[in-house]
Amino acid sequence: MAEPPRGERAVPFRGHGFVLARRRFAAPLFFFGMIALWQVACDRGWISPLFLPSPYAVLLAFRELIEAGTLARHLGESLFRMGLGWLFGTIAGLFVGFLMGIFSLSRAIGQPVVSALFPIPKIALLPLLILWLGIGEASKVTTIVLGVFFPTAIATYSAIDNVPRNLIRMAQSFGLPWNAVLRKIVLPGALPGILAGFRISVSIALLLLTAAEMVGAEYGIGAFILTAGNLMLTDQLLAGVVMLSALGLGFGTLLARLERWLLRWR
Amino acid sequence: MRRRVLLGSLPAAAAYSVLSPLALPRAARAQAATKTTVGLLRLASSAPVFIAQEKGYFREAGLDVELKIFTAAAQVPNAVVSGDAEFGVTGLTAGFYNLSGRGGPVIIAAQSRDEKGFQLSAIMATRAAYDAGLRSAADLRGKRIANTTAGSTFHYMIGRLAQAKNFPLSSVTLVNLQTLPNMASAFKGGQVDAMIVPATVARPIEAEGAGRIIGWVGDEAPWQLGALFTAPRMIAEKRPTVERFVRAYVRACGEYHAAFNQRDAAGNATKGPGYDALLGIVAKAMQQPPERVAGSLAYIDPQGRLDVGDVHNQVRLWQSLGLVAANVNPASTIDLGFVQGHFNLPR
Repeated sequence: MAEPPRGERAVPFRGHGFVLARRRFAAPLFFFGMIALWQVACDRGWISPLFLPSPYAVLLAFRELIEAGTLARHLGESLFRMGLGWLFGTIAGLFVGFLMGIFSLSRAIGQPVVSALFPIPKIALLPLLILWLGIGEASKVTTIVLGVFFPTAIATYSAIDNVPRNLIRMAQSFGLPWNAVLRKIVLPGALPGILAGFRISVSIALLLLTAAEMVGAEYGIGAFILTAGNLMLTDQLLAGVVMLSALGLGFGTLLARLERWLLRWR
Repeated sequence: MRRRVLLGSLPAAAAYSVLSPLALPRAARAQAATKTTVGLLRLASSAPVFIAQEKGYFREAGLDVELKIFTAAAQVPNAVVSGDAEFGVTGLTAGFYNLSGRGGPVIIAAQSRDEKGFQLSAIMATRAAYDAGLRSAADLRGKRIANTTAGSTFHYMIGRLAQAKNFPLSSVTLVNLQTLPNMASAFKGGQVDAMIVPATVARPIEAEGAGRIIGWVGDEAPWQLGALFTAPRMIAEKRPTVERFVRAYVRACGEYHAAFNQRDAAGNATKGPGYDALLGIVAKAMQQPPERVAGSLAYIDPQGRLDVGDVHNQVRLWQSLGLVAANVNPASTIDLGFVQGHFNLPR
């Protein structure tokens, strides 16, 4: 075996540290393959239409929705409820999360309260919400606000906890005023964690759309899915589910953009 | 669950073997019993199945029946389609007919129905609506009415009342709230004018003073609420099993009717033969106190006969609302061959 000459050996770079490369076509190809397989299985009769409608049938259900002109209305009402609910829930969650992250007293009070209230299933509260807020938009938006508030508050104070202490101590020993420490160290340091919380809370808002629209909603994706399910119209049901998935994908992409822009200093 | 039911029926079976000269062949048949399953809810309307199981009628018919308890009516026809249950008994909804139209379950006998003089489904007005003049079913025109879901039994009852009282169904505003507790909440909060709910839900609300019962669906517009059904492949491949199941089921229906559906000359409810014993069986299966069960006992036809005309009307009403596919033929959702004497057959 020939020894490489001492001192001249090329050392390959090993410090990739699990860097994720972008694979632009992997996901679309995977989705396409799955849907093609599903269609073939339905066409060949491997799957009975009673159990699972074919992608083509789902497409037809979509076309029906568009032709009836109700798709925009379903989407519009749902996005309105979700947007409003997410906005209020996030503002309240950020506020409470910050208080809990920075002040010991707020933490002492807030943590047990959040732990006690977070796991309450929002659907179980619906009869109460109806009594308090009626069956209009207020009870629907509140359902989403409640669902978004807790994970945002938890994500925010955990993110503040995870800001490196030595950075804060350094700033303090350099004599930076309190609000400058907050603005220049704590806030940017907590931002990645807060944004990760947004990803979860957006998904929860989508998830709760169906629960929120259980109450007296005529239009909305959640109401559409519920009705289709109750009528056993599986093609419409899946069309609704596809809408939710598409929204999830859309919001995910949007948040990824926001993350890249807000965290460009990294 | 199953073991308890089997043990519970032992004394009845033992009594039979002493009394009956047919004990031996029956015992021999029981050993080779055909296994089958029935999906149902823990409601009083499922009582014939509970009775047939507990009193050993299924076993006498050579069947070893397992009861599969579900929590929502929509799950039962699904279970029959998926093969998790071979039979199902529950209320009829638009979802059922959509499944049936695609080769799903077929109705073979009756379950409960809303019948004149029997207080099963209450029409309720909120106090405010009552004071404003909502006093009878005909006044429902133009009102806001709470409903569970599109295509539910409650939805149909509102449609039936509209037909019977001659007002357009489109004149009422249906507020879909998914569950009975949600409906009760919206009703108490005055978010709706009226609702149709089972008597067991209506009576406490009336006692609280949140609303008034202004009529009964059975008196205003009788209809076929529920049915026994099975998958078409059961009828094609295991017809004897279906026949024996229906026979045992109808036998229990007769006993149920004799005990619970009796009226005296004045039209008041009276206890029929075996009332207390049967109530005990039903209450035990429902895991409820007998007093509460007694208030929820629906009318069940003694021979399992269906109001066929109403089933057809159900399908047509759903189709007119676009909730059931237009190509579903009402006649193909029922198999009339298992019970004699179905009534109100369309010409």
